[in-house]
Amino acid sequence: MLYQSKERRDGALQELRYSVSNNSEVLQSAKDKTGRKIVGVFHSVVPEELIYAAGLHPTRLFAHFDEPITLADAHMQTFFCSNVRAIWDQVLKGKYPYLNGVVIPTACEAVDYIYQTWKRHNPYEFVTSVVLPFKKTENALSFLAAEIGRLKKSLEGFTGREISSDSLHHAIELYNKNRELLKKLYELRKSESPPLCGVDAYYAVMSGFILDKEQHNVLLEQLLGELQSRSDSPRADVRLLVSGGCMIDVRVLEAIESLGAVIVADDTNTGSRSFWHQVDAAKDPLSALASRCMAVPSPFTTSSEERLQYISEMIREYRVDGVVFAIQKYCESEKFDLPFLEGEIRGRFGVPTTYVETDYLADIAPLKTRVEAFIESLKAV
Amino acid sequence: MAEKKKKGLKVNKAIGEAIAKCYQDAQTKRPLAWSLLAGGNPLIEIAHAAGIQLVFPENYGAACSTKHASGRYCEIAEAHDYSSDLCSYCRNCFGYIFAQDAEPPQGGMPEPDLFLMTTNACVHYIKWFDSLRLMYNKPLVMVNTPRVMDKGRVEDYYLEHTVREIEGAIAEIERITNIKVTHEKLSEAVKLSDELNDYWREIIEMQKAVPAPMNLPDIGNVLFPVVGLRGTREGVELMKQTYTEVKQCVAEKRGAIEEEKHRLMFLNIPLWYNLRLAGYFAEKGACFPFMDYAFYVWPPVKMDPSRPIESLAAKALYGQLNEGPDAQIDNLIRDIKEFHIDGVVIHSDRSCKVMSLGLLDAARIIRETYHIPVLVFDLDHTDERVYSDAEFKNRVDAFLEMLE
Ligand code: SF4
Ligand code: SF4
Repeated sequence: MLYQSKERRDGALQELRYSVSNNSEVLQSAKDKTGRKIVGVFHSVVPEELIYAAGLHPTRLFAHFDEPITLADAHMQTFFCSNVRAIWDQVLKGKYPYLNGVVIPTACEAVDYIYQTWKRHNPYEFVTSVVLPFKKTENALSFLAAEIGRLKKSLEGFTGREISSDSLHHAIELYNKNRELLKKLYELRKSESPPLCGVDAYYAVMSGFILDKEQHNVLLEQLLGELQSRSDSPRADVRLLVSGGCMIDVRVLEAIESLGAVIVADDTNTGSRSFWHQVDAAKDPLSALASRCMAVPSPFTTSSEERLQYISEMIREYRVDGVVFAIQKYCESEKFDLPFLEGEIRGRFGVPTTYVETDYLADIAPLKTRVEAFIESLKAV
Repeated sequence: MAEKKKKGLKVNKAIGEAIAKCYQDAQTKRPLAWSLLAGGNPLIEIAHAAGIQLVFPENYGAACSTKHASGRYCEIAEAHDYSSDLCSYCRNCFGYIFAQDAEPPQGGMPEPDLFLMTTNACVHYIKWFDSLRLMYNKPLVMVNTPRVMDKGRVEDYYLEHTVREIEGAIAEIERITNIKVTHEKLSEAVKLSDELNDYWREIIEMQKAVPAPMNLPDIGNVLFPVVGLRGTREGVELMKQTYTEVKQCVAEKRGAIEEEKHRLMFLNIPLWYNLRLAGYFAEKGACFPFMDYAFYVWPPVKMDPSRPIESLAAKALYGQLNEGPDAQIDNLIRDIKEFHIDGVVIHSDRSCKVMSLGLLDAARIIRETYHIPVLVFDLDHTDERVYSDAEFKNRVDAFLEMLE
């Protein structure tokens, strides 16, 4: 049984879902309406607040889910993450007609190096990078603040307008509000009978990568209202946490929840990692933005020990019965941490784990079989 | 066709001994650090200045691979859930640790007192050494250099940050080992490193000679002192010997192979388990005077011993692995001409993403610019299991025919 009741398809969730499924259309019409240029970003380690404050519309870049990779093979070998190869393929095929530029961070191997390919072929007006430190020291913080200052200048060069401190402050407040609302939404998942499932949460977060934050906030408030008044949600007997890199393939989450489990929490670049940490609005904005970027617990900027802490807190708070590591093929930084995390989560926290591999447009059946066996084993406990 | 006599530099013997000595000393000398090699890790000079014994897990990967031990080590690592997606240097290292062999290649790498790394090569570096730190519960000293995303664009604050990182690393090393790294010791190490580098630059320059004095295996060998012995007298001596011998070869027009008909460029890390492949090319009169891995990865930054930390910082930031393929392609186009190259062999290495991205673009640009044959093959530098001799030689034969 799919863990979703009919009513959940209505209301705010319906709209959030629509924006994800029809993201090109939604972005194009936002652009037509506001005249704001659209800037794509990779990962949640780019300070989108700056892009927003520059009068641009930031969006996280994802591959449209219908297009076998063909043209990108001439530039990127198949041993790179297919999420990134698919994006590059669709860039070459002109599938992002609304896009004006892109900000690429140093992150996982695939994204780290695509900047060079991107620049060489330069498909849009604007491309720039943000270089991230791995360490969490004061030295690293002041470096990243300077690097974000460079991003600010290059955005200003692109728009021809200075980013005022008022507009930056406004953007930070708006994004903080957005993160706060998403966290409230996740709070509801702690319940014995969570009013929203993992697939719902996926749409709630993913839509934020597409919609203007003002609009997203309105929809999230509405959704929270709708969910808080709900009392008919079924009990979640098997509570799972999904951990992985860029979990863009909703079929994976649907498959897991079709097996009678509920995803109550996540540790993914497209889920909680993207909004878990706030920007301190009282501090110097560049340094405050840098602090947030450094706090994002993605493996390419975080040691496996710190990741363990993040995941273990979630396990405790969301009373997780089992962890599914769903990791993209060739996502090296996630895969590096896997043996340590699985060992510790099982050994130290006594929580069972399983591991499945995801790949762009891959057949989902083997993954489903594996997770099914895992869920059965959890039920048997 | 009868196999032509395989030649090689005489200095190779001394280099082989230096490699063996490094592993022998690692068995007894303390403090011992496992250190990363690529990209001009500034901690190598600093460790030598401090008298810390070093071993290099990447070099150990190559050493295991030449002894055909890596396939098994990679397999063992995979059995411990280290995915086959990860670089085979890392898998070789984990497999070696888990295997606990009684007689590993070169006697193995004993448990270290500390780990030394700089983040100026690949993302693997960070995760690899972070994993090792947890496995051994030993301190990791990390110089967190920023990646240079645009050719030559090293902002002032990149340098300042790197200087502070190196200063911090020295303080940590002093605390961990109780050894003082004085300015004198450090500037002496930087001076020696720079001397070594000067010889290396000259040697590279002499590879432009026709016939070329060194072929792929010679270059692969010389790499050990070039990277591992930077900052030591021993390293300078080896480079001096190499330089003298290479110079003499050039003067006497003595080539690395019997009859040099074709001059090839090799891109990416060689197949360590099959260095004989150069012999296969040599039989057909093809020599490799150029290997980007050896010539670009360690940047040609001139160092100033009176400002050792700033010099090491600059060295850490420039270099192919930290600057990415963008800088590389322009250099390749220049060097194909300068080294009189008439064919390019590209190893698209599934293990080393940082060196492999951009190679498909490079192949296309080289073909368009020079209309010379380019062979691109997908393999792995350490993990022999993905290699098929017959298949590989078929491709090489077809490529060599195009050269004729
Ligand atoms: S799935 Fe992994 S490799 Fe792919 S883009 Fe995301 S973090 Fe990078
Ligand atoms: S990925 Fe490349 S640079 Fe990184 S450790 Fe492996 S071989 Fe070296």
